[in-house]
Amino acid sequence: MSVPYLGFGMGLRTCYFEQIISERPAIDWFEIISENYFVSGGKPWYYLSQIKEQYPIVMHGVSMSIGSTDDINTDYLKQLKRTIARVNPAWVSDHLCFSALGDFNSHDLLPMPYTEEALNHLTQRISQVQDYLERPMIFENVSSYLTYKQSHMTEWEFLAQLHKQTGCQFLLDINNVYVSARNHSFSAMDYLNAIPKESIAQIHLAGHQDFDSHIIDTHDEPVCDAVWSLFSEFSQQVSAVSTMIERDDNFPPLAELLAELEHAKALTRTHWG
Amino acid sequence: MSDLATLQHAFIALLHNENNSLANNIVDQAPLEVCQRLEIYQSAYRIRLRGVLEQDHETLGFYLGDELFEAMMDGYINYYPSQSRSLRQFGERLPEFLRITPPFSEHGILAEIAEFERILLSSFDSGDASLLRWPQLQAIDINQWPNMVLQLHPSVYFFKCAYASVESWRALKEKKTPPLADIHEPHHWLIARGTDHRTGFHPLDKKQWLCLKSIADGMPFSMVCQSIVGEFDDEQTCSMFVIGVLQLGIEQGWFSGVNMLHGTLV
Repeated sequence: MSVPYLGFGMGLRTCYFEQIISERPAIDWFEIISENYFVSGGKPWYYLSQIKEQYPIVMHGVSMSIGSTDDINTDYLKQLKRTIARVNPAWVSDHLCFSALGDFNSHDLLPMPYTEEALNHLTQRISQVQDYLERPMIFENVSSYLTYKQSHMTEWEFLAQLHKQTGCQFLLDINNVYVSARNHSFSAMDYLNAIPKESIAQIHLAGHQDFDSHIIDTHDEPVCDAVWSLFSEFSQQVSAVSTMIERDDNFPPLAELLAELEHAKALTRTHWG
Repeated sequence: MSDLATLQHAFIALLHNENNSLANNIVDQAPLEVCQRLEIYQSAYRIRLRGVLEQDHETLGFYLGDELFEAMMDGYINYYPSQSRSLRQFGERLPEFLRITPPFSEHGILAEIAEFERILLSSFDSGDASLLRWPQLQAIDINQWPNMVLQLHPSVYFFKCAYASVESWRALKEKKTPPLADIHEPHHWLIARGTDHRTGFHPLDKKQWLCLKSIADGMPFSMVCQSIVGEFDDEQTCSMFVIGVLQLGIEQGWFSGVNMLHGTLV
């Protein structure tokens, strides 16, 4: 599976709806949070229907819980499939994690152990979900704050193996790599060097809160210098990958996010064109 | 249970504050203690859910004051863990929690304010539909009017209050002192999304309420009139009143269309 290269995009958030429609900023594409459009109508759909006439849209979910050991939630998949049909996105992504179990939903992206069992479980679930949706899915690496004793491979070895077994592609969040690297004392560049380059379909760039002893992945700050450096170095190892700024809180004026997008473009201009 | 399932159940138990068995499965890595690593997830879980309640029930928070609102959020998160994939639904059972949990249950207005805020949210992102225009009704032969069945817009909700909950909500929104909670007789409201996509609420008197509820029940125009004729001196006054409600509803965007009793779409 290969996804089209869309250029440099941004997470579509409600606070920017009107400005995007009235000013048509130079952004190549937008990523929406899938679950925000599971509602029937109203303001979200009113604005999205106008924005999607002008820009390509991709969908990014936060609640699929692909790694859960309970049954696949077909109600969720039904809603997702219905929304995909209405949005017609360039691709659809979610996270490599579990978030729900039984009736309980944590609304968090809880990490998987890096074991053979988890690998085989994910391989089976990804296949089930893709069959149901009748389209390939892309999965994002999550940031984490703990390492399971059961893990017997690194995260990047786990991803490489998953790609080999399923052929699925990844949404590489370079901020998440940096957050986990700092929290678990591994080299973020080792991670980026090792991950199969052909597996990367999209890149997220975001910010976090740095508490010195650890980092919390908040996506509410500008992209930090260390993440920019990682992105710059990684971008030289891959052909052009659709890249976006993901801001989820503490929203600045749109111009600030556009400036970050310009910076991302500048860092890749020589090799991505 | 598989190792993976055991680990996931232990993680969920940790978030529920049920047990800490997950700690035995976590690598001890400096500089953070294992318990600090687990606390990051425990805190994030509660912070996220509290954020949803603060956003969805901001005005209820003003009514309760900080201390009670904190207690309400803690209690609700403990007893009503999220069962939905979307955070949008997390607060759905808050009115129920407030109705049955002391000390909140001693003040019936609290559950009503929460319910009102839930209805505002539901109306806000309900389905879209075209709006009925007056010329569409005028085009119907007057002899056929008794057979017409009006369709309410999907964003229309009805709300009957035993307390001054909507008035209190509005006062707090305007940073004014809310009125006394007790009222002599029930107050009726219609909530709907306007053409500007904002959600609005409109007081209804008893006759308007009965009339619109009959329409909501799918009754044709003739039966809508019959359902409230007892409130009037004669049938003609009653019909004129119902037509007045239709005019108001069309102006406000409460109707999405009209069918004829025998299935003809207008």
